[in-house]
Amino acid sequence: MRIALAGNPNSGKTTLFNALTGKSEQVGNWVGVTVEKKEGIIKQSLYQSSLNQSLDQSKENTIVVDLPGAYSMSPYTQEESITKEFVLNEKLDVIINIVDATNISRSLFFTTELLDLGIPIVIALNKSDLTQKKGTMINVQALSEALKCPVVETILTKSDKNGLKELLAEVFAADKAKIKQNPPNIRGSVTVTSKEEYQQTNLKRYAFVNAIVAEVERKMISSEKQTLQDQVDRIVAHKWLGIPIFAAVIYLVFSISQTWVGPWVADIFVGWIDLLYGGVAALLGDNVNPVLSALLLDGIIGGVGAVLGFLPLIMMLFFCLALLEDSGYMARVAIVFDRFFKKVGLSGRSIIPMIIGTGCGIPGIMATRTIKNERQRRTTAMLAPFMPCGAKLPIIALFSGVFFSENAWIGTSMYFLGILVIIIGALIIRQITGDYSKSYFIMELPEYKVPSLKRAAFSMLRRAKDFIVKAGTIILVCNAVVQILQTFDWHFRAVGANSPETSILASIATPLAILFIPLGFGLWQFAAAAVTGFIAKENVVGTLAVCFSVTNFINVEDLTLVGGSAEVNAVFGISATAALAYLVFNLFTPPCFAAIGAMNTELESHKWLWGAIGFQFSMGYVLSFLVYQVGTLILTGSFGHGFVGGLIAVGIIVGIIGYFMLKGGKINQGYDGIKAVNL
Amino acid sequence: MSLTKGKLNTPYTVSSVKTNYEDIRQFLFSLGCYPGEKITIISKLASNYIVNIKDARYSIDEDLANAIIV
Repeated sequence: MRIALAGNPNSGKTTLFNALTGKSEQVGNWVGVTVEKKEGIIKQSLYQSSLNQSLDQSKENTIVVDLPGAYSMSPYTQEESITKEFVLNEKLDVIINIVDATNISRSLFFTTELLDLGIPIVIALNKSDLTQKKGTMINVQALSEALKCPVVETILTKSDKNGLKELLAEVFAADKAKIKQNPPNIRGSVTVTSKEEYQQTNLKRYAFVNAIVAEVERKMISSEKQTLQDQVDRIVAHKWLGIPIFAAVIYLVFSISQTWVGPWVADIFVGWIDLLYGGVAALLGDNVNPVLSALLLDGIIGGVGAVLGFLPLIMMLFFCLALLEDSGYMARVAIVFDRFFKKVGLSGRSIIPMIIGTGCGIPGIMATRTIKNERQRRTTAMLAPFMPCGAKLPIIALFSGVFFSENAWIGTSMYFLGILVIIIGALIIRQITGDYSKSYFIMELPEYKVPSLKRAAFSMLRRAKDFIVKAGTIILVCNAVVQILQTFDWHFRAVGANSPETSILASIATPLAILFIPLGFGLWQFAAAAVTGFIAKENVVGTLAVCFSVTNFINVEDLTLVGGSAEVNAVFGISATAALAYLVFNLFTPPCFAAIGAMNTELESHKWLWGAIGFQFSMGYVLSFLVYQVGTLILTGSFGHGFVGGLIAVGIIVGIIGYFMLKGGKINQGYDGIKAVNL
Repeated sequence: MSLTKGKLNTPYTVSSVKTNYEDIRQFLFSLGCYPGEKITIISKLASNYIVNIKDARYSIDEDLANAIIV
């Protein structure tokens, strides 16, 4: 049996999905949180309570599909198309239509379209607690009779008496009866053939809905009245106050996750890793093969441990971001930024993928699907990875801790640099594509609400699990491979302690390192770490830990290293300016392979994908070059190593980008009309 | 007149949506913004208008507010 969950954005579909399947998918409070359909199997305990019998799981599973939110069956964004195609083409047994009880006059438009499909529909009238609070009365019985389908009131935010059992009982009954859904008599006998008829049908549809609403809904407070929420909006999304408020909120989030709670938990965590390291070392004893001991201790426990040490920081970041998303604040952020993003050819919608991208680039890139304008969508997908993601946090923490422990702002400044790079990038891409079209911006504002700690915790744990799995698989394998490659030379003889440069890894990475001389870090260890970083960004820290044999080095109190940052600073052997350049290089070159995969999906064009990767490499290289050379010039009075070579490379990059910009500028010269619309 | 010239907290009736883009007209329709329906400006924030359509709040930009004729 297959059930689909369909309804308007932000009506509670994902919450229902989680309640039915026991999963913990991301719950947000803005449009486009479900970017792709998700499937799950209904929990056994729910079967028992709603059917009063135990179901033989081997015989039949009930699959629930969570669809992206849609306002109608005439899709406007790519996301809505997924929903339309799915309900039309997949053989569904029952559709649960989630209707926001606080907004039935709009929600029922989509409902009438679903009713026309002939598939049995059960309506979950959600948020019924909110309507009660506002003094709105809905006659559920009359609504059910008018629509000729069961309607069940639900309060999905509650864990008991939420209407879930009653809802499922109706769903199973509808499935068992196998009766085709009776469509409301809107079209009459007319089959729609022309655009006018289609519009007429839709007008009739609304007339039908309005008549039902007038009959079943009694309101105490008009929605046109100013509310406290509207007053809050005036401050939060204020023309000038909006940005400092946003900066303060984000600063608070990073302070909590990276300087207050995060390090405190990380300290305990690193203690455990140390214990494990010591324990395994004692267990191995002195007589064990040194290669095995190095592989196990430094490669695996040390390398993976170095990455896992940052887990609590990342978990706290995810937790705070989930709370923010759930509160309804993020939609206001989009309003604040719309004005600025418009100036560079994007819209307020682009900020959403970028903020989601601070958690992880992949969902961030996927969230661009809610952007209607193709060029804006692709530009956003290309630029969103410039916001430092959770996996880049360890790199930021390591380098700012080791080289800039006195300057806490280095870490935060990377986010602002990210925004700056995005703005510059957007301008360049607009010029290259020659697309100067403006776009309309419209976005639903969800009501503010107290965010659910439970859901934020679930979201955090799910991400933590992903992170641990990644550390235990990709990163572990990478570190082990790196350890082996740097332990042996090409004849598979162990390299001596005094000649690490004879190792396989060194010989592979050294030619590459030459490219990095103008950036200040032309050492094979850094080159190797940058390369493994493309597999997963956490690898950068892991590989450096392995290559320099500095394991278990995080003193999380102030994100410096055990034994003082000076020692590691000395081991790394590069200047602080070069370290900053290396940090910039890793943050602003292409993201990890998985995120590039997501970019491939969203850009829908190999030309765009290669363009994006080339652009990201160019951006990282040029920025890194500027940081190192200008920084060195300021501090020492002369340019750093490899300045001339670097200048030539940067000149070539700038020349190529400039050529494309000139070419693009000629295509659509002087065009500035509204060419596309944007949700 | 266009919605941009409208007063705050005054319910207006939409008379047309003046745009060449059928998809935005269709999308506004699915939200309940079509000739004959009510629209109220709740506030003007930054460069956006916060409007109430069918019990929901939307933020629309000036270009779109200009396209909505009341």
